[in-house]
Amino acid sequence: MARNARTATGVGRKRTLRVLGTAISLLEAVRVRASKDLGFDIEFEVLDFPSCQRKAALDPDSYDVYDQCFHNLGIVWHWGALQPIDTTRIHCWDQVGPLTKLGGVDKYANRGVGDVPKNKLYVQPDHSLGPNQTRYISMLPTVHNFDSFGYDVRLFGDGMPPRESWAMLFDQRVKGRLAFVDDPAIGLFDIALAAESLGVLSFVDICNMSPLELDALFAFLRRKLDEGFFFRCWSTAQEAADLFKRGEAGIQSMWSPAYAMLGRAAEHVREAEPAEGYRGWHGGLSIARHVDGDVLQMAYEYMDWWLSGWAGAAMARQGYYISASTPVTEHLTPSEWAYWYDGREATEDLVGVDGSTVVVSKGARRSGGSYLERARRIALWNTVMDEHNYATRAWSRFVAAVNLRAQ
Amino acid sequence: MTKQRAPVESSKRYELVAAALRANISSGLLQPGFVLLEGPIAGLMKTSRAPVQAALRILEDEDLIHRFEGRGYLVGRLGSRVTPIRREISELGLRIPNEIDTALQNRGLWERVYEEVESAVSASLIFGDFRIIEGELGDYYGVSRTVVRDVLGRLHERGLIEKTQSSHWVAGALTAQSVRERFQVRQLLEPEALRTVGDRIQFDQLARAMAKFRADENIADAQAEWVQLDQALMEHAIFLAPNTHLVELIRQNQLPLAAASRALTKLGLPEDTVAANEYLVLFELVLDRAISAAATYWSDHLANVMQKNLARLKLVAVISDPPLGVPYLTIRDTE
Repeated sequence: MARNARTATGVGRKRTLRVLGTAISLLEAVRVRASKDLGFDIEFEVLDFPSCQRKAALDPDSYDVYDQCFHNLGIVWHWGALQPIDTTRIHCWDQVGPLTKLGGVDKYANRGVGDVPKNKLYVQPDHSLGPNQTRYISMLPTVHNFDSFGYDVRLFGDGMPPRESWAMLFDQRVKGRLAFVDDPAIGLFDIALAAESLGVLSFVDICNMSPLELDALFAFLRRKLDEGFFFRCWSTAQEAADLFKRGEAGIQSMWSPAYAMLGRAAEHVREAEPAEGYRGWHGGLSIARHVDGDVLQMAYEYMDWWLSGWAGAAMARQGYYISASTPVTEHLTPSEWAYWYDGREATEDLVGVDGSTVVVSKGARRSGGSYLERARRIALWNTVMDEHNYATRAWSRFVAAVNLRAQ
Repeated sequence: MTKQRAPVESSKRYELVAAALRANISSGLLQPGFVLLEGPIAGLMKTSRAPVQAALRILEDEDLIHRFEGRGYLVGRLGSRVTPIRREISELGLRIPNEIDTALQNRGLWERVYEEVESAVSASLIFGDFRIIEGELGDYYGVSRTVVRDVLGRLHERGLIEKTQSSHWVAGALTAQSVRERFQVRQLLEPEALRTVGDRIQFDQLARAMAKFRADENIADAQAEWVQLDQALMEHAIFLAPNTHLVELIRQNQLPLAAASRALTKLGLPEDTVAANEYLVLFELVLDRAISAAATYWSDHLANVMQKNLARLKLVAVISDPPLGVPYLTIRDTE
């Protein structure tokens, strides 16, 4: 409807690209800059992960570009809401690194299990998604990161434990102060990694659990709830940061931007490098099925813009990586690049996306080391597993029970 | 105390049909040599064909009727030399004893209740494990315990509910695992059945279904078309496989999948719109008598449909638990 109104105005009409996505990448600063660089209007619709995925699948006419994660892609693709992206029209395609194109940053890197981006990247001849390289892709890989958990080092005695493990989530020393992210495609795996690292449970495929395995996991979590391990669940990076700032959480799932919001708590909160590896996630951009003509051209320009450097630098200042990192070097200072990508000590205070708030103090060093070091240690990816419906309902009941006790 | 159950009311439908036919054979209204055909009997008794089939088999076992070279059965024991009498059964003025007639009418009520309960239960499977409270169910529809038991018994037969060790009826959550396993069974059985149907395939009926679909191609309601094509494939080909046990397995295995699919559609989830075209390809292969290729194609199609069903089931996760609207279903927290 709105589109017809626009095109009807003829010459000099307002050109608008509608982007549906989440708060991870749809920052106002990004919208303003992209619109200025590209010469057309851009509208952002920001939703939480599940709502965004649902809208993308069921209402593809309501957006032009879908900005989400690879684990939120399969469902939307299956419903025929998206169209293949022709890589020959993406000028920056050659700059995209091997993590998504080949499945790992190098030959010996751990690939991780679950929704591995490479397995959903290429459009196969039968229109399904698979790892075999073709000219067409389902989603242009963009921002990504390798997440772990954060903890209050003071609770574990002097200095960091000799070996950091997801099992620390259920360490007696942090009993009653465990928090986690409430998204079932994310938080559930933090908890499952902890249960498996403890040796309490063992999953045939941790990212594709059977109903019986899920029942066992939730029985374990109920026991831990009764024992008083959990503090509460959170939905946004800000909430996670606040839990540490108020001294309520002792250990919890963490997203990269939350570390920059800790204030003075940053002195005693550490981002773990778990021995089992990280929980990876990878974002990207897809095009709605209905898009063609002028709008399709705008969508391709917008996607290219994302990989051309400025956006990658903005994402880096939140702790996120971008799939085409070379152009980013021109938009980050050498000390920013050294800290965020190379894992070296910050030679000066570093500011965030707003250009003024200090998010990294001089002398700090990024946990886990360089991009390559971190990317080689992926245990699993955020995943929407086959039993997602079954898992989500049990998960929601559990999250509600945890938060009820927190009140 | 439990009310005594009327013997006729508790009988199965095929037993009622058999009893009615038996009474008319012994009274002589159905005379030796009369040709009994499923369709007309089903019409007369206001029932489907399946109970009539079963009733005729019972009467055959009792040596009251026998098969002959033509279609249907002849009244009279095997070996009795009779000339087939072909007349409309509805013109004979058969007497259907009152209690049997009433019971058949009750069956109508039974079936209506069954449909509603099946629909409610199927819709609930998506949201987790549920317990069915028998007393509430009876009160809600105003039916006797006998009807409740029959309804639940049928749901059990169809694989939609189970009885726990503590004798509670429960509807287990619809899981990806059960969907996957049922589709794997379909992949094993259905292509094999298709291969063995041979000349029994009703080619003309399949051609008619295909022509009807093509003629309707532009109608807005094209989404449910695949369901009709699927029915045509089952009725006019796969269910005609000579191994009746195999056909029964196929039928039973499909029931929970079909019930779940209807429930998802009711929730507003989109139907698979490309499936209809895949049926057309299949029908063309069958009509070209390329049965082996059709069977292989059907297997591949089922693999695709399984993936779509799994994706569809994942999508349901974003729908929060709705009020079910029926008092006899209560959520069961297994944790």
